[in-house]
Amino acid sequence: MSQSFSNNINSLNTFNTFNAADHRPNILAWLSPLEPRLRHQDIQESRMEDIGEWLLQTEEFRSWCAGSGGDESDSAVLFCGGDPGAGKTYIR
Amino acid sequence: MLTSYDVSSLVIDRLCDQAGGQDVAVACFYFDFAAQKEHSPTSVLGVLLKQVVGGLDEVPGEIVKAYENQKKVLGGRGPRLSDIVGMLQATTSEKRTFICIDALDECVAGHQVKLLGSLSQILQKSSGTRIFVTGRPHIETEVRRRLAGRVTSVSITPRRDDIISYLRARLDEDLIPDAMDSSLEADILKKIPDDISEMCVWLPTLGRLP
Repeated sequence: MSQSFSNNINSLNTFNTFNAADHRPNILAWLSPLEPRLRHQDIQESRMEDIGEWLLQTEEFRSWCAGSGGDESDSAVLFCGGDPGAGKTYIR
Repeated sequence: MLTSYDVSSLVIDRLCDQAGGQDVAVACFYFDFAAQKEHSPTSVLGVLLKQVVGGLDEVPGEIVKAYENQKKVLGGRGPRLSDIVGMLQATTSEKRTFICIDALDECVAGHQVKLLGSLSQILQKSSGTRIFVTGRPHIETEVRRRLAGRVTSVSITPRRDDIISYLRARLDEDLIPDAMDSSLEADILKKIPDDISEMCVWLPTLGRLP
């Protein structure tokens, strides 16, 4: 009887000890319910190869990507302005 | 043909490819008019933090502690915006981080201000963090104002190469290829990009007419 009681206490203690690794999925879900991974996957699949590649070659993109905030002329933010369907309506 | 979210996903993929094997975090979010209610600053910044933390071997102790504390009250309270910003400041200072936000103009105006303010707070603590934002051109002023002096911009317009790539892809998908001969194909690949380039030159001018 006392043996079983002691076992129960032990398992209770184990249960009460918070193990962050076990709770990892719960903690991540707690941070936000949103899942942008799925939307990214949809867009990635419908995107045509090579379209927009020019942007990655621009000086603006390259220096933004390589910069590390060290000097004063560094731009931490790259803004790309355009219509959500730029060009789309012209040749549907 | 070339949408802002195409550009965002292209940039995100390039950053993820570059990050492979390096100690770099990439976090993204796509705004959408249809889901404005769910896209509060807390949930959007929370999901950015979630992606950064998802790439770490261990959840930082500060976040575990906040989770434990909030779980004890009201049957499990969500994280607060100020806590999330604090946690993002801490994680982005430790690890080089790229944050990509698509279609910021599709976010509710009040939320936009809070989000940009929070991003500015993150940059103040970790100046090496890179932020990529797309949106309709009119929001550039607001982005520049809130993220004072740290913004460079590129305009997304369809380039001739994009139009040709698009046309080639559509021609490849043609279900009656026999109806096409090489001279018609060459004509299509020349005339349509020419016409569109002309339209793109004229459209901004027409937009300014009364």
